[in-house]
This record gives sequence, structure tokens and C-alpha cells, in this order.
Amino acid sequence: MPTVAAGDVISEWVVEHVDPDKMKTMAALLADPNPIHWDVDAVRSLGMGERPVNQGPNNMAYVANMLAAWAGGHQHLRMLRVRFLANVLGGDRVVAGGRVIAVEPSPDGQLATCKVWLERDGDRVMEGEARVVVPH
Amino acid sequence: MTSLADLQSIVGHQFPGGSYRIEPYRNWLTCDAVLSPVPPDDIAHPMFCYYGALAGMGISLDDLFALAGATAEDGVMFGEAEIDLRRPLRVGESFTIRGGITDVERKEGKRVGVFDIVAFRLELVDAAGQVAAVSTNSFVFPRRDN
Repeated sequence: MPTVAAGDVISEWVVEHVDPDKMKTMAALLADPNPIHWDVDAVRSLGMGERPVNQGPNNMAYVANMLAAWAGGHQHLRMLRVRFLANVLGGDRVVAGGRVIAVEPSPDGQLATCKVWLERDGDRVMEGEARVVVPH
Repeated sequence: MTSLADLQSIVGHQFPGGSYRIEPYRNWLTCDAVLSPVPPDDIAHPMFCYYGALAGMGISLDDLFALAGATAEDGVMFGEAEIDLRRPLRVGESFTIRGGITDVERKEGKRVGVFDIVAFRLELVDAAGQVAAVSTNSFVFPRRDN
């Protein structure tokens, strides 16, 4: 992989349609009892709209996927820290993005610190920072 | 509503802990659900730092919500999350999970009213006794009954 530098933009990673069925899979895998991920009646009764709410870790995973595509695999991610700013809902289109803000040498390659985010219609729904090893 | 004193009393609470194995089928289904190719060479999706930590902490999410005086029906939301991977996690590996509640904070917003933030930290310890990864999270508990 070519050398990376502060200011480099990470290629976007797009989810065209956040699928409610995938939320159900994750709820079952994680034994997640929170009905906002699979029960629209529960979402409605909480005044949270008419669509199920994606699990926050799923949104993190989209950013991890973007970083893996950029760095050459999931094994290169060292840290991902995010703040959740808004819910992602079933049917949404979201775009993961990122930018390198610092680079330092490491035994395995360049250790890149990146600002990362997830956006819907240009608005941030999640943002944070990641550290990724970009191999030699 | 849970009193602030009651809420603060859970800081330092240690979860029972337990173990978690990254089963191949779980990795496959997780990758499918989060739209990732299944990584080669038995590399697990990095979000297993979180998934494994939560599954192996020794209490259910319902129990965690109850510690904070809430239930799943209260609309609990994620606040912040961090996965700290000291090395890649591998499919088929087992980890001992240990950790507990590290902080609580009560806040009030004009739109959402009173809400509490509960933070917790979990370590994934490998068979060699080394911390392979750390999952740090905070959940937001709306207090709509105030």
C-alpha cells in the first residue's frame, strides 16, 4: 500500500439501505432485549417514530468496514472510539467517511490516526476517532 | 426515578464475568448483518471486542439496565463506545471477560429532560492471560418519569 499522510481522505463506504432484518439478526445474536431494534409498536409507543432503530454497534461496524477496505483488512484496526449523535433507522442510507489526521511509525507499518464519521443526508449521526495500522 | 445517590452507588460494581468463544457461525452471521466480507485467515470482525465483552460479562442487558433502575422498554440508547484491540481477535478463540461500571452522570436536556449516563469497561483476556482487547461503553437512560 502507498505511504499515507495526514490529510488523506479515506474512501467512503456506503450502506444504501439499512435493513431491519439485519437488526433482528443482531438482536438475536446479542440477546439484546431492547425492542426499539425489532418492534415498531415499541418504537412508536416511545415516541421515536415509525421505524426500528439500528443497533449502535452496527453503525460502528460500518466504519470498521470502511477502515478495513482502506487498510487491507480488519486485522489492522487498533482502536475505534465513537460518539452516537442520532439514531440510524431502518431504510436509511448512510455513508461512512474518514480522514487521516496523524501518522507515526510502528513495527507493522504506519500507524494512522483518523477522524471518522457516519452521515445520513450529509448530517453526522456518529463521529469519532480510529487508529489503524497501514502495513508496509 | 432512581435517585442520584442510588445511581452513584453502582460505580465500582464488578460484573460476575465469564467467558466467550468467537464461534464461526457467529462471526459469519455478524459479518452478514453488518455487511462485511468474512475476513480470511480466521480473523474475526473487530466488533467482537464489543459483542464478546457484552455476551461474556456475566449479566444480561436486562440486568445491566436494572442496575441503573431501568428496563429495556425505557428506550435505552448508546452514548459512546470504544473498542481497543491490542491484537486481532480470531475465530475459535476463547476469552475470559472481566470488568464493571466505571462512572455515572446525571444530565438534563431541554428537549429530552433528565437522563443518566452509565459507563462500563470490559476486558477480553486470552488463554495466555493477556488482555487482547478492551470494550468501553456508555449507555444513556432517559428518565421520562420525572
